[in-house]
Amino acid sequence: MVTLASGTILTGLGVGLNAVRGEVFRVKPQATLPGPAKHAGDAAGEKETLRGAIHHVAGYLDELSVKAGETSAEIFEALKMLLEDEDLFETAIAEIESGWNAATAFIVAVDSLDAIFAGDAAFEERLVDLKDLARRVAAHISGIHMGLDLPTTGSYVIVGDDFSPADTAQFTDAVVGVVTIKGGPTSHTAIICRSRSIPALVCCPQAVDLVDGMQVLVDPVGDRVVVGGDASMATKAISFVAKSLDPIIPVRANIGSLEDSIQAATTAANGVGLFRTELLYLSETTMPPATKQAKSYAEILKAAPEGPIVVRTIDAGSDKPVPFLDMPHEENPALGIRGFRLIQDHRQFLIDQLESLEVARKETGREVWVMAPMIATASEAIEFAELARGSGDYKVGIMVETPAIAMALADLAGKLDFISVGTNDLSQYLFAADRMNAGLGALLNPWQPALVRMLQVIASESEKAGISSGVCGESASDPAFAVVLAGLGFNSVSASRSQVGAVRSALSAVTLEQAQEVAKVALAATTADQCKSAVLDALATLA
Amino acid sequence: MITTTVTIEDPIGLHARPAGQIVKLVKESGLTVRMGKAGEDLVLANSPLRMMALKAKTGEQMVVEVETDDQAVADALFAQIKDFLKG
Repeated sequence: MVTLASGTILTGLGVGLNAVRGEVFRVKPQATLPGPAKHAGDAAGEKETLRGAIHHVAGYLDELSVKAGETSAEIFEALKMLLEDEDLFETAIAEIESGWNAATAFIVAVDSLDAIFAGDAAFEERLVDLKDLARRVAAHISGIHMGLDLPTTGSYVIVGDDFSPADTAQFTDAVVGVVTIKGGPTSHTAIICRSRSIPALVCCPQAVDLVDGMQVLVDPVGDRVVVGGDASMATKAISFVAKSLDPIIPVRANIGSLEDSIQAATTAANGVGLFRTELLYLSETTMPPATKQAKSYAEILKAAPEGPIVVRTIDAGSDKPVPFLDMPHEENPALGIRGFRLIQDHRQFLIDQLESLEVARKETGREVWVMAPMIATASEAIEFAELARGSGDYKVGIMVETPAIAMALADLAGKLDFISVGTNDLSQYLFAADRMNAGLGALLNPWQPALVRMLQVIASESEKAGISSGVCGESASDPAFAVVLAGLGFNSVSASRSQVGAVRSALSAVTLEQAQEVAKVALAATTADQCKSAVLDALATLA
Repeated sequence: MITTTVTIEDPIGLHARPAGQIVKLVKESGLTVRMGKAGEDLVLANSPLRMMALKAKTGEQMVVEVETDDQAVADALFAQIKDFLKG
């Protein structure tokens, strides 16, 4: 164990805008459970022990259910039913009678379900949950505590590997800051901390050396934790002062529902740069009729902020399946039949979507652009363009998320009106780094030089091919990164609703020439950290 | 003994939530209820795991059998089970 001197700086990825000081509270690594063992001969006693332990864990599920509120309560209720299942208990009793102790018997009983439920995705998930509960039952029997045991008063910065939904549900008011060793900008911890305005630093490997009792400053804007630091050391977010009325490139908003559309119209967004249509379908059990689809689209188009509306055709896959379309289980859903690839089996669905949207477009008189996600070849892009032009009076484009299509943009001159880059997926595919893997956050950092350079290729190839280019990924919601994007030559950005104002200010505070200088600084960097800090320095001199 | 047939409309099939809801209902009713896929053996509907192990999918027909002679009691039970299987 290294002792960290006061003033030591640990770096990671910041979440939030405000710095906070607190005392380190390390979440203990979970104690290992004892291995399988026989009991001493008192089978009746073991049965009672097991019954008591199951009852205890059921009580814990009740607590979680109350904390989680109405929507998630049903999940905990269903899990409790499985935990207390009579068949499962009988199976465990049989194991106790054959000599295993209560803890081993219950784990063996739950493991025996593997054979029954293997290969069925919906049940496998429950099985994972049930196995976690079996470990809790075993832990209770062995006297091992598995909760986070967070303090309820005081000001603590909690430090751990990464936090699951069951963990974050236990955060108390005393949790003022969070530091995770693993995790990335889109990890569960980051999302929860962002929504609850808890300053956090994720993906900080050096945090393993933080110990209980240390005072630290979590400084998310500076992407760091300062040991012994105080509020005076907090990095200030650059405050951009708008120098012109309009940003150097249009800033649009990302939406996914009618509510989003209404909210986006209250911002200064210039139209919608990404309308995710899958939300309209994920909750339907049967294919919505064309009239219903057209009605939903018309409502959303009507409410949207003034300007063009870029609609993305359905972006679903076996990891977020549309209930009424057949999407078989896949080993690697991120690399599977998703987005435009669904056309293989569901061509008519896509045509219906485009035709319903056309009805809505005519009814509302709005300017609608359509684009398809998950395009890998020029021929796929051309196939979509022909389909879309045959279905309605649209400007037609594609998402650029695969490195393959980024290398084929020159072939699309005269075929497409626009492209839009989804930086989250482009990072995932460029770095071969699973977005869902908590250990790979550093590779998914948008400031990675390889991503910035790939973006430059995309912007310049698009320009040469006479195709308008935009970015609608998470990175476009970062004001500093948006300046880099404008400087690289992108013609628009689309940000999450809450970030439209901040991104507009940044893009109104610089000239196009200045943005180009900043982009040069970004392109010269060789590490993600250096890229971000060099860009922030350059912007600070301009401001 | 009163029997009916219901269709699973839940898009995920007979998964944990409906299985749990049915078992809870059956236990609260105090009745003996058996369920199974049409044409297959029926199982006692008092264990959600046993019900999930039937692996009944969306669109499949399920036979529900309740040990009672009271048609009104059976109908009320069937209506709730149907509702649980809607998803």
